[in-house]
Amino acid sequence: MSGLRSFVARRLLLGALQTVAVVLLVFALTEALPGDAAVALAGDQPDPARIAAIREAMDLDRPAYERLAGWATGLLHGDLGTSLTSGRPVAHYIADGFGPTLLLATLTLALLVPIGFGLGVLAARHEGRLVDRLVSSVTLAVYAVPEFALGVLLVTVLAIKLAWLPPTALGYGTDLLAHPAALVLPVLVLLSRPVCSLSRLVRAGMVDALASPYAAHARRYGVPGARVRYTHALPNALAPAVQQLARTVDWLLCGVIVVEALFVIPGLGTVLLNAVAERDVPVVQGLAVVFGVLTVVLNLGADLVAHRLTPRAGVAA
Amino acid sequence: MTTRRRFALGLGVIVVPLVLALLGPLLTGEPGPRATSFTLGGGHWLGTDFVGRDVWQQVLLGGRTVVVTALAATALAYLVAVPVALMSALTRVRWLEELLMRPLDVLLAVPSLLLILLVASVLAPGAVGLALLVALVNVPDAARIVRAAAGEAAARPAVEALRMQGESRWRIAVGYVGRSALRTLAADAGIRLTGVLYLVSTAAFLGVGVAPDAADWAVMVDRNRTGLFVQPWAVVVPALLIVALTTGTNLLFDAALEKNQTDKRGRRP
Amino acid sequence: MHDERFPGLRRRGFLAATTGAAALALVGCGGGTDDKAAGGSGTPKRGGRLRAAFAGGGASETLDPHLANLFADVARAKALFDKLADYGADLSAEPRLAEKWEADKGLDRWQVTLRQATFHDGKPVTAKDVLYSYRRIADPKQAFRAKASLEPIDLDASRATGERSIEFVLKRPTAEFPNILAAFGAYIVPENATEFDKKPIGSGPFRFVSFTPGRSAVFRRYDDHWDGAPLLDEIEFVVANEESARVNALLGGQVEYAHELNPTTARAHEGKGQIEIVRLRNSAMQAFCMKTDRAPFDDKRVREAFFLIADRQELVDGALSGAGEVGNDLFGKGYEYYAADLPQREQDLDRARALLKQAGAEKLKVTLDTSAVAAGFTEAAGIFRDQAAKAGVTIDVKMGSKDSYWSDILDGGTLSCYRSGAMPIEAHISQRLLTDSTTNATKWQHKDFDALYQQAQATRDKTERAAVYERMQRRLYSEGGFLIWGFADWIIGTAKTVKGVETKAPANTLDWARFDKVWLA
Repeated sequence: MSGLRSFVARRLLLGALQTVAVVLLVFALTEALPGDAAVALAGDQPDPARIAAIREAMDLDRPAYERLAGWATGLLHGDLGTSLTSGRPVAHYIADGFGPTLLLATLTLALLVPIGFGLGVLAARHEGRLVDRLVSSVTLAVYAVPEFALGVLLVTVLAIKLAWLPPTALGYGTDLLAHPAALVLPVLVLLSRPVCSLSRLVRAGMVDALASPYAAHARRYGVPGARVRYTHALPNALAPAVQQLARTVDWLLCGVIVVEALFVIPGLGTVLLNAVAERDVPVVQGLAVVFGVLTVVLNLGADLVAHRLTPRAGVAA
Repeated sequence: MTTRRRFALGLGVIVVPLVLALLGPLLTGEPGPRATSFTLGGGHWLGTDFVGRDVWQQVLLGGRTVVVTALAATALAYLVAVPVALMSALTRVRWLEELLMRPLDVLLAVPSLLLILLVASVLAPGAVGLALLVALVNVPDAARIVRAAAGEAAARPAVEALRMQGESRWRIAVGYVGRSALRTLAADAGIRLTGVLYLVSTAAFLGVGVAPDAADWAVMVDRNRTGLFVQPWAVVVPALLIVALTTGTNLLFDAALEKNQTDKRGRRP
Repeated sequence: MHDERFPGLRRRGFLAATTGAAALALVGCGGGTDDKAAGGSGTPKRGGRLRAAFAGGGASETLDPHLANLFADVARAKALFDKLADYGADLSAEPRLAEKWEADKGLDRWQVTLRQATFHDGKPVTAKDVLYSYRRIADPKQAFRAKASLEPIDLDASRATGERSIEFVLKRPTAEFPNILAAFGAYIVPENATEFDKKPIGSGPFRFVSFTPGRSAVFRRYDDHWDGAPLLDEIEFVVANEESARVNALLGGQVEYAHELNPTTARAHEGKGQIEIVRLRNSAMQAFCMKTDRAPFDDKRVREAFFLIADRQELVDGALSGAGEVGNDLFGKGYEYYAADLPQREQDLDRARALLKQAGAEKLKVTLDTSAVAAGFTEAAGIFRDQAAKAGVTIDVKMGSKDSYWSDILDGGTLSCYRSGAMPIEAHISQRLLTDSTTNATKWQHKDFDALYQQAQATRDKTERAAVYERMQRRLYSEGGFLIWGFADWIIGTAKTVKGVETKAPANTLDWARFDKVWLA
């Protein structure tokens, strides 16, 4: 167990370094983008004198490393800084966007895990037969349909033609829980791709595990099929699927821009998109910190799961 | 279903997009005059696209870049990811594993589109550069999944046995561990190919790689979406071709795996 | 003066489409404020809440009217605040808070009298409020958008001559002074107001109720508005950046008004009875901008050749999906002073080739800058590239960053995509075509042209002034740097119940996005 603890400690330390690297990378890349916040704000009226005035008002005339240092010092005191464009605290931006994003991610995940694993196991059980073929090809085809097309299709049929559900979450603000009907379509669209990728990985892992010598052994010794499947084969199939799941959660939390735009849900993806367009560097950096930490934690979680699963593979055989 | 029939099915599905992609450019003539965008009729039997061009002609022209860029980028991603993942799964040196995998996590933490957008606007790459960039974005993700699948196989006693029998690391890696991870890899590759396709088209719209009005199936799906209700063919036809391409590729993969394992074991459980 | 091009942040997903079949009355036949074509039938009814969806600016949005940058900002600002004047359908200034204006002989001193109006807190709108607002905009430490528009006013010398009368002292004769009063963003706020997001006070037809940046703003009818109380009880502005979301919300009954729709959407729903489609003609000038101070466009024969390369109808059909009209290389079709008598230019590839040969520019290679910054830009660039190829000109289309595009093309490159929202022709000239213009993207710098502009501004008689504007436009028509190929419609969707939406006002004018005369049946 102490091995595990030191593993976690080492990974957390590495994670902190990674987050710093992410922030530096994002800062460098944002700085390298053509134009800055002043140019973006001046928009279609790029009068050089006006841009210079905005630049001065935003303190953009200071060298980049000074601005980065100033921001980092603030961060050490728990201050994420203020937006260049509006002067409001970055923390507000993140807090406002996080609620809807978290809600959508949680709901999607709660449905994704049973459906994804269920379909994967179902296909693996009937490997090579009609059910398997059906699941495999349908998931692949659905995966190839762009999200926006699926979204538009669902909205047109379920919201506009049949009027069963509201077409967007427009005007509901952040209190989406009060309007559960508005969440159905976004969650469906969000589910469409992860379900496909997850179930395919689960199926592949399960088929492999069921075909492995230890499963054959277990069967020969009279272990019931269901037991072989769920206590021996499934855990072995999990490792890649868990990695995929971590990536999915990451994707759900770091902003699902298409779905947010299509259904007017003001989540983190929208905040990020706007911040990059406005060259609002403090907001972009604040988000980079949040995303960096989330990714590190999620990947660590996935690795821990894999860490626990992998030795078992050896024991079971 | 026999393996042979599965091959036939895969081939049947993939043959249309492949033939269109490879021979399409040879079949088109000079581009005709443009018409109003998103209209039907007027000699355009699939209507016109978002800039008034003939959709059928764009379909004929648009397969090659998709097939070449997307396949190349996907292949390239695995070319890097698989060795890294196998090495990290088989090594017993902890720091080596960390050295191989952790830098990838940094890349993973930056949303891929943001990364492409940022790097591309700094370096302004062409089509080859774009393929490299898309491949780069996919490496960490692919590596983690392959690593996880291979890690499971590498922990099996069989590997230990092989090691004790004095098998070379190379043979263990490729011959046993790599082979066990093959199915997961194939499942992952199928979806990754699709993801890459659309990433290329989104990048095109952002001004990276191919032109925003390029004849390219994925770009067509993306750019013609505004006309979905007026002129659906401009989206539906290229989208179906992409579906056929990816589904077909996967069916062939599956069939090949099947054959491989049947040959190896001689029976199915 | 005022820059009224379509402001910022165009998101992907906007595209053009549709043959402009809807036969709407010609723009430019007077004020037209009384023609409410969209459902002008029936008697106006009071009451109800209207929800209007606009593309917006996300969490950075503000209600500070002087910071208005996007359409959503302007729509909110004009509900809460008033300007001294605003633009009619032909882009001539109409009095609003100003009751009348009068110039002295030299046209450099103007007496403006305010009408009796009150702010939402009951205080009257006075000369002091006006001077405070203008001084705030012109503050050299700030960078408000309207600052450049107010430049001709000497605010230190201008003064209040009474409770409701102001004497504006100008730095030079300015016959079109009323245009300044109507400038984009020149809203009147109460004296000493600095904070607008908590509880802004204006004199506009609606008063503040609530505001969440990037999401929603709710305003309530102001019963004592000088122009009569609005018919609606409440108006809610909601933000939806994706066009399909605005359409879906409209179809699904979540909003009653959706701003800025695609031509294809319009075509899909026009005449189907579900929603009403309103097309505001002549709203967005579409152009290619040639830098006249550098090769190859420093030769006017090359410029003329490019004028002749363009197949304008193909550009309108392809890039705007037919939702617009062809242009004649002159800004402001249908606006006051527009030189409508010049012959419509047509594609003439033989003559273009001959001109290029004369100029020694055969096998010409040019880079065309474009970006996804505005609808139709990338489309137009691709179409023009193919047209130019027929005249032996190789155009290399270069996609730029949409966030810094306008700044990048101001001084860089040689050929770029360009567009502009509605503004008076005089403002177009003063902002873009004079030697010291701040956004002179064609690098059109000619002393004699500047002199003509000054002459127009010093001419009191309107007919004489029109003649001077015509001379300037003739010059631009024959050798200017703007290849203006079209004017795009601005498309709005409304629910069937919404009545009284003006159909002839180009975007940016008074009656566009105006909700105090709208009612729900």
